[in-house]
Amino acid sequence: MPPRRPGPVAALPLRRAAVGGHTVHLVHPGALAPQVHRTLAEALPEGVGLTVLDLSAVPEYGEAALTGGRAETTVEALADWAAGLTSHQFSLVGWSFGGVVAQAMVERLPADRRPERLVLLDSIAPTEEYQQPDEALEPPLLLGWFAMYLGAKRGRPVPLDPAALLGCGVDDGLPLVLDAATASGALLPDTPLPGLRKLYDTYVDGLLRNNRLTAPYRPKSSSVPLVLVKAERSLIPEDPTLGWQPLAPHGLSLAVAPGDHYTMLTRPDAAQAIARLVHPV
Amino acid sequence: MAQVTAVEAQQWLIEKIAHRLGVAPGEVSPEQYFDELDLDSTEALILAGEMENWLGFELGTTTLWYHPTIKDLAAHIAEESGQRAAA
Repeated sequence: MPPRRPGPVAALPLRRAAVGGHTVHLVHPGALAPQVHRTLAEALPEGVGLTVLDLSAVPEYGEAALTGGRAETTVEALADWAAGLTSHQFSLVGWSFGGVVAQAMVERLPADRRPERLVLLDSIAPTEEYQQPDEALEPPLLLGWFAMYLGAKRGRPVPLDPAALLGCGVDDGLPLVLDAATASGALLPDTPLPGLRKLYDTYVDGLLRNNRLTAPYRPKSSSVPLVLVKAERSLIPEDPTLGWQPLAPHGLSLAVAPGDHYTMLTRPDAAQAIARLVHPV
Repeated sequence: MAQVTAVEAQQWLIEKIAHRLGVAPGEVSPEQYFDELDLDSTEALILAGEMENWLGFELGTTTLWYHPTIKDLAAHIAEESGQRAAA
């Protein structure tokens, strides 16, 4: 029987620009469905379009999250792929690892095709500070991010005290996530731990894939100003610039959007704040 | 675990999916495609993990793409289980 899964769409228009109008291109790294950016599309001014460039449509990248987290590609190759999908007049946004690819994309475009600036949505810079081996991503950190992700996927927050995860491994930390998720209604009460473990392992493989792509990558400084929009509950709450300052010789503007790393994409109040930065009226 | 037959695998899948969907097992057709069921990707992965725990061996995450109905997946599981039992 042939595979049933419909392939992800490389360039998914969530709103068409008016004739002669401007299009926002948003580089999306997977984890959530690309339609998650519909809230931002609706918050943009009339006539402005939004097209998601979904990295999951690159087979080497998309399938790596399901097959152990090793992608036979590079940040540069992904950037070239995404650049090939852009139109002439566009603004550029990248969410999470999509911001890393978007920044590489700008620098690989001819100067006359570059956007005026790059908006990064809770994206962690590919600088030495954050280029780390897999072992540096320890279970308490990953379990906290996973709870955040699970809450966003299920439309119900999974409140979990980070202090409870301190010193936990996956085996003793995951039951805490399961308890919190069933208590909040994000998961059914009889959800089995091995089932949640499969979901967790797949989530982590996606993160490791991006971490492994970032580790050997050597970014160029940005030739355009950068705008970083951090989520109120960012992946790295303690770093206001998420490491982008050394790559921003033409300026780094900072803003904060309501929500966490994932819900900042679906909350209307966050979308309004981001829309004003992506396409100032 | 002992070798699993296609009938056993199909019955297991139908019971679990019916429970997740809150319907009677008789309402879940073995011919139905997984993506036609009202299961999102989170639930599908949780079900896959529960199934692997029951089987005692891992199924690739892409297995559901290549065996996209309950009946087809059950047949694949039985084949895989038989090979492992014979090994």
